[in-house]
Amino acid sequence: MAIIQAAMGATVAFVLGRTVVGPALGAKRTDWWPAATLSDLTEGEPTPVTIRRAQTDGYRQTVNREVVFLIRTKDQVTALSSTCTHLGCRVAWDAEAALLKCPCHGGRFDRNGAVKAGPPPVPLARFATRIESGQVMVEL
Amino acid sequence: MPRLTGLIDWLDSRTGIKAGRAHLLDEPLPPGVNWWFVLGSILLFLLALQLLSGIVLAMYYVAAPDHAYDSIRYVTDHLPFGGFVRGLHFFGASFIVIAALAHMARVVAFGSYKSPREVTWLTGVALLLVIMAFALTGYLLPWDQKAYWATTVTINIARSTPLMGESIAAVMRGGSQLGALTLLRWYAVHVLLLPGALVALVVTHLYLMRRHGISGPITPRSGAPTPFYPYHAIRDTLAVAAVFAVLITMAATIRVPLDGMADPSDATYVPRPEWYFLSLFQLLKYFPGRLEPVATLVIPGVVVTLVALLPFLDRRPERHPARRRLVMLACGLLAVGAGTLTYLGLKDSPTHAEPGRFTPLAIAGAEFAADQRCAACHRTGGAANPMSDTRITKDHDWVLAHIRDPDTITPGSRKPPTGGMRESQARSVISYLQHVRAGGVAPSTVEHKQGILVYGAWCASCHIMDGEGVKNGPELTRIGEKRDAKWLQAWIADPGAVDENADMPAFGDRLSADELKAVAEFLAARKHGAGGGSN
Repeated sequence: MAIIQAAMGATVAFVLGRTVVGPALGAKRTDWWPAATLSDLTEGEPTPVTIRRAQTDGYRQTVNREVVFLIRTKDQVTALSSTCTHLGCRVAWDAEAALLKCPCHGGRFDRNGAVKAGPPPVPLARFATRIESGQVMVEL
Repeated sequence: MPRLTGLIDWLDSRTGIKAGRAHLLDEPLPPGVNWWFVLGSILLFLLALQLLSGIVLAMYYVAAPDHAYDSIRYVTDHLPFGGFVRGLHFFGASFIVIAALAHMARVVAFGSYKSPREVTWLTGVALLLVIMAFALTGYLLPWDQKAYWATTVTINIARSTPLMGESIAAVMRGGSQLGALTLLRWYAVHVLLLPGALVALVVTHLYLMRRHGISGPITPRSGAPTPFYPYHAIRDTLAVAAVFAVLITMAATIRVPLDGMADPSDATYVPRPEWYFLSLFQLLKYFPGRLEPVATLVIPGVVVTLVALLPFLDRRPERHPARRRLVMLACGLLAVGAGTLTYLGLKDSPTHAEPGRFTPLAIAGAEFAADQRCAACHRTGGAANPMSDTRITKDHDWVLAHIRDPDTITPGSRKPPTGGMRESQARSVISYLQHVRAGGVAPSTVEHKQGILVYGAWCASCHIMDGEGVKNGPELTRIGEKRDAKWLQAWIADPGAVDENADMPAFGDRLSADELKAVAEFLAARKHGAGGGSN
């Protein structure tokens, strides 16, 4: 009797549990998004660009605006996340100090995303980039 | 293990769980208790399961007309096991109604409602009404055509109440029309009010059942009482497991229907209630006009009152059905009556086309939507979502105007594409988007594809097929039953040459000979059972 009851309980728990955690465990999908025209970027200067991403949010379709710093070195472009790795505030480029500064707890990053000061534990995240006929594409 | 025993002992000293467990499991049952007494346990299990599946569905459901349908579509088509859980909840409702009626029938046949169990019976009748209210309110939530129109009918039935009908209907709607406020209040009743009432009534029902003990066999037997555990618990477990097996099999294999999204402007939809309300619905047909309240209020009211009062009307201690002929006859007639009405209602139910099944217009629309002009804006990283990801939320006229000339509705669309689409093409694209939203997938192979494309490009602005298009000329859904390809080809090329009074413009100079032939052959194949043309 206990076996039957346990089997029923396990079935219910599995089906309902799978539904509850399902979307949380799904693999994150990335796509290539157009971010900027290569010729618009200044050499060595992190330029913030807003990438408009149409995404599926459960039953909804939303458009997320993601700010990414693009840094051009000749014909190569590096894309840095603008999200501070400490607690997720938005970093901004301070041209005078030549640092990406976080307004929340004083995190500082250089133009390669490396931590220069403050509490951030790891460098800024990097995204893959490629150039397609003069257009900078970023993988998000 | 000693640690566990120690923990249980500690817990017991603080809460008395051992005595509680003994009270639950060692319930003495009268000798002769048999399989007839498992129905209540089945019902209890189904109600608990319904509560759990309902909680999971509530994590994904949005009670707003803008999102309700899409959220259910997401649960059904995209959420892992979501369709399964929705199936559990959907079929669970029917199982609960069947289990409740079976339990009730057992109580009537065994005379178990008699003194001192009158109040137990009354709480049971109240439970049945709560279950019906659950079914009724749950119906609206998916916000599909069936939900919308069945609820419209329900509210109109309430409106036929003499004197205060209008006020009752207004409170049920929560406003002057069936809409966002209605959905929210029905949802609140379904997930907050009714579960509270259900739990309170179930607890009372079980408490009374334990207080008086179960009634046992019709003719009491001699012998010592047996404890519930394990002697009856094994029967309960096996019976519940059997019902559970059937329920999960149904939930796993049968897709719960979801019609197209609610469309208040669609007058063609014929709603039918779920089977357990079909008898009432059928009853309505026999009391037209001013007599309607007889079917909506008087008959159901009298039946519920009589059923509730049963223990007070049949007060003799006699329990044997053969010696309670009047009660058995009345209840039997009630069952046969409701059964007959349900059968007649079922026979009279229209069949609805599957909402996701692609119609010719949708097939053509899928082609037109692949147009590069749409992709000027509808692309990854573009001003709008790619066409394959576009969920239309604007009304039909907006979308029609936008497709025909994007810049009129969305001024400043980046580089507006030159030229628009013909109305018929635009209608095809809308049909395609609607079918995608309803969970449909374009068929991989299509017969008469060229003809369908010609039809979608030119004909839908004047003709209706499978419920889509404009009623300007004759409906073409089954035109093949009346005309053959040769006649159709000649007619479309030049109607005036076939009949000098013809209204239809000639297409001979607009379509190539191949296109004329293709569309004529497609139309000639439109016969009964031809379906969406996508076989």
